[in-house]
Amino acid sequence: MTKQRANWSPYDNNGGSCVAIAGADYCVIAADTRMSTGYNILTRDYSKISQLYDFPLKLNLDITKVSIVYRAEKCVMASSGFQADVKALQKVLSARHLIYQHQHNKQMSCPAMAQLLSNTLYYKRFFPYYAFNVLGGLDNEGKGCVFTYDAVGSYERVGYSSQGSGSTLIMPFLDNQLKSPSPLLLPVKDAVTPLSESEAVDLVKTVFASATERDIYTGDKVEIVILNGSGIRHEYMDLRKD
Amino acid sequence: MKLDTTGLESFPSLLAPQSDVVGELSAAPSFDLPNSNDVSIQFDGFLKEAIQMVKPAKGTTTLAFIFKEGVMVAADSRASMGGYISSQSVKKIIEINPYMLGTMAGGAADCQFWHRNLGIKTSLLPSFCSSLLHLGIPWLFPYNFVIDIVAAAIVEKEQKKWCRLHELANKRRISVTGASKLLANILYSYRGMGLSVGTMIAGWDETGPGLYYVDSEGGRLKGTRFSVGSGSPYAYGVLDSGYRYDLSIEEAAELARRAIYHATFRDGASGGVASVYYVGPNGWKKLSGDDVGELHYHYYPVTPSTVEQEMVEATGA
Amino acid sequence: MECVFGLVGNGFAIVVADSSAVHSILVHKSNEDKIMVLDSHKLIAASGEPGDRVQFTEYIQKNVALYQFRNGIPLTTAAAANFTRGELATALRKNPYSVNILLAGYDKETGPALYYIDYIATLHKLEKGAFGYGSYFSLSMMDRHYHSGMSVEEAIDLVDKCIMEIRSRLVVAPPNFVIKIVDKDGAREYAWRESVKDTPVPSA
Repeated sequence: MTKQRANWSPYDNNGGSCVAIAGADYCVIAADTRMSTGYNILTRDYSKISQLYDFPLKLNLDITKVSIVYRAEKCVMASSGFQADVKALQKVLSARHLIYQHQHNKQMSCPAMAQLLSNTLYYKRFFPYYAFNVLGGLDNEGKGCVFTYDAVGSYERVGYSSQGSGSTLIMPFLDNQLKSPSPLLLPVKDAVTPLSESEAVDLVKTVFASATERDIYTGDKVEIVILNGSGIRHEYMDLRKD
Repeated sequence: MKLDTTGLESFPSLLAPQSDVVGELSAAPSFDLPNSNDVSIQFDGFLKEAIQMVKPAKGTTTLAFIFKEGVMVAADSRASMGGYISSQSVKKIIEINPYMLGTMAGGAADCQFWHRNLGIKTSLLPSFCSSLLHLGIPWLFPYNFVIDIVAAAIVEKEQKKWCRLHELANKRRISVTGASKLLANILYSYRGMGLSVGTMIAGWDETGPGLYYVDSEGGRLKGTRFSVGSGSPYAYGVLDSGYRYDLSIEEAAELARRAIYHATFRDGASGGVASVYYVGPNGWKKLSGDDVGELHYHYYPVTPSTVEQEMVEATGA
Repeated sequence: MECVFGLVGNGFAIVVADSSAVHSILVHKSNEDKIMVLDSHKLIAASGEPGDRVQFTEYIQKNVALYQFRNGIPLTTAAAANFTRGELATALRKNPYSVNILLAGYDKETGPALYYIDYIATLHKLEKGAFGYGSYFSLSMMDRHYHSGMSVEEAIDLVDKCIMEIRSRLVVAPPNFVIKIVDKDGAREYAWRESVKDTPVPSA
C-alpha cells in the first residue's frame, strides 16, 4: 500500500507587524491590529500584544518593596504569525509566570522572561509555534530592553527590532533612523537609542503608517504600549483600512 | 520510535525534585511532537515544511585554529533568511564557560540552545565526574546518558559528601574532548530530524589547547585548523596561506580577522562584525570586534585616482 | 572520495583506508584515522557517514570488550564479524547505519581472516575486498597481482600499487592513506602514505 501523505497543514499566517524600541529609561512596543488570512481580513481589531506581568501579588506587605518590584519587572510581548499558536504560547508563558510568582514571591525579570520564551519556543523545535515575537521591557536597572526571536527560539538583545509581515519594510527604516554601534564591537561603543520617549512614539507611528502603505497584512490600527519608570501607558493610532 | 530527551535533562532537578503541585509545566522538559505512531510519516509531510519554513539560512563564516600560544577563534555576525538580512549583530561565538568557546553555523536556534545546554552541563558535570571517580567508575564519563541515570542514584547516597565533592569539582574542569563528545552524542541522537548545526568547540584544558569540529550529522573531528559555513572556502584560502604553528598572539589574531574579512568580502551571506577571541591557559578573551565595512577601508585606504578619460557627451544623431 | 581496501597474506591481514574528512567540496582534515583497532587482534576499517561510522564502530568495540570482560575470552574474528552483521541487520529495519566495514583479524586456530560487511548487512569472508570509489581501481589491481600466501613485503608492494593507481586515476582522490596490519603479534599501525601533511596536533 502506498503511504498516505497528509496534504494538510495545521498552520496559517495571519500577518501583522510588530515593533519595539528600547530607550535609556523607557521601552515602546507596538503592533497593528489587523488579522488576515490570505486576501481576507478576518478582523480589524485584534491585539497582538500581551502583557507578561501581573500587578503585584498581595504577598508582601512592605509597600515600598512592592512598589520597587512592580517598577522593575515588567515586560510585554508582541507576536505576529499564526495567532492560534500565539494564543497557545501566551497561555504557556503566563502559566509559567504564575508558577514563578508562587515559587519566588516576585515578578520575573525581563531578561529571565526572555530566556524562558526562548526555551519555550525551542521545546517545540520539531513542531514549532509559528510565531514571530519581540519582547520589550525594562531590565533590572530600569533600562529599556528589546529581545527579538525567530520561530524556534534563537534570540538576541537589541536596541530596536521589528517582526512580522512588514518587518522587511520597517527594519531598514529603523536602521536608517536609529542605527547604533554593534554590541559586538571592541572597544565597546555606547549603544543607547538617542531618542526621547515621545520621539520614539512618533517614530513608531511613522513606521506603521509607512508599512501600511506597502504591506497588505498591516493596517487598520496600531496599538502602542509605553513602559517607563512611572508605569505603563497605551496609545492607539488609526491606520489605513484598505 | 521514542524521542531520546535525556540530553535535555538538567541536573538540578535531580538534586531537588520539584513538588507535584506545580504539575506538568515544570516537569522535565521534552520536545512536543504531533500525534502519530510513525515518526517517518511525521517528518515527511507538513512538519518537514514547517521546520524548513522557520529555519534561517546558514550563511556564515567561522574559523578556529590552534597555534603555539593557544586557540584563536573568529566569526562574522550576519544572519540571513534568503536574501533578507535578519540581523547584523549575531553573537556566533558562544561562551560555554570561561575556558571554552563554541562557534555557531547552521540553524541559529539549534546552535544557541544546545550550546546553552552544554554550558549548563559542563559547569555541573565536574561534580558528577568526581562522584563517579569516587566510586571508581570513571570510564562512564563521556556518555551523558549513563551519567544522567547513574548520577541520580549516586547523588542521593553521596549527599553528605556533597560540599567536599563540590570543592573537588571546581578544581577540575571538563576537557574539550569530553565536552565535544557530549555535544556530538546529543546531536547524533537527533539525527535525521532536521537539526542543523556546524560547530567548533575550542578551549583549554589539562592537556593544553583543544579544538573539535562537531556537526548535526554526528561528525566529530579533532584538528588544528577548521573553518565552517558558506564563507569557509574563502576563509580557508587566507588561513592556509598565512598559517604557521609558531605565530604570535598578535599575528594569529590578525590572520583570523583577515580571513573573516576576506570571507565577508566574497560571500554575500557573511558580514557584519568580525569578532576574534583567543583561548589561552587563563581562559578566553575577546581581542577584537571590527565592523568589516570599516575594516575594508582600513586594509585598502581610498586613494584619489587620476581621471584617465573624461566622459564625453554623445553627439545627437 | 572514500577508499577502503584490504587483503589477507601469509599469516597476516592488511587493511588500508584513506584519511580525508570531506564535506561537499571541502576537505576539513586529511589525517583522520578511519581504521579502529577493535581489540588486540582485530582491525575494523569503516567508510560511510562520519557520524554513523564513529558511533557504530565505537559501539562494536565496546560490546566486543564487554564480551571479553564477562566471559574471559575474546570473540573470534568470525564471531565478531557475525555480531557486527547482526547489529547492522537489526538496525537496518529501524534506523540504518550507513557504514561499510572491512574487518580483519587473526586467531590462533584459524589464522588471519578478512570479512566484508556492507551497510545492508551482507557478510562475506574474502581474501581481498574494497569499498568506495577506490574499489574500482584497487579491486582490479588486487585481482591481477594478488596470490595466496603473499609475504608482508609483497602485500605492501601491492597496497602501494593500489594507492598510486587511485592517486593518479581518481578525480577526487584522497591524498593520504593509513595502512594497518594484524598478525600473530597483534593489530597495529603499519605506515602512513602521505602526500599532503596536516599540522599534527601537538600533544602537550
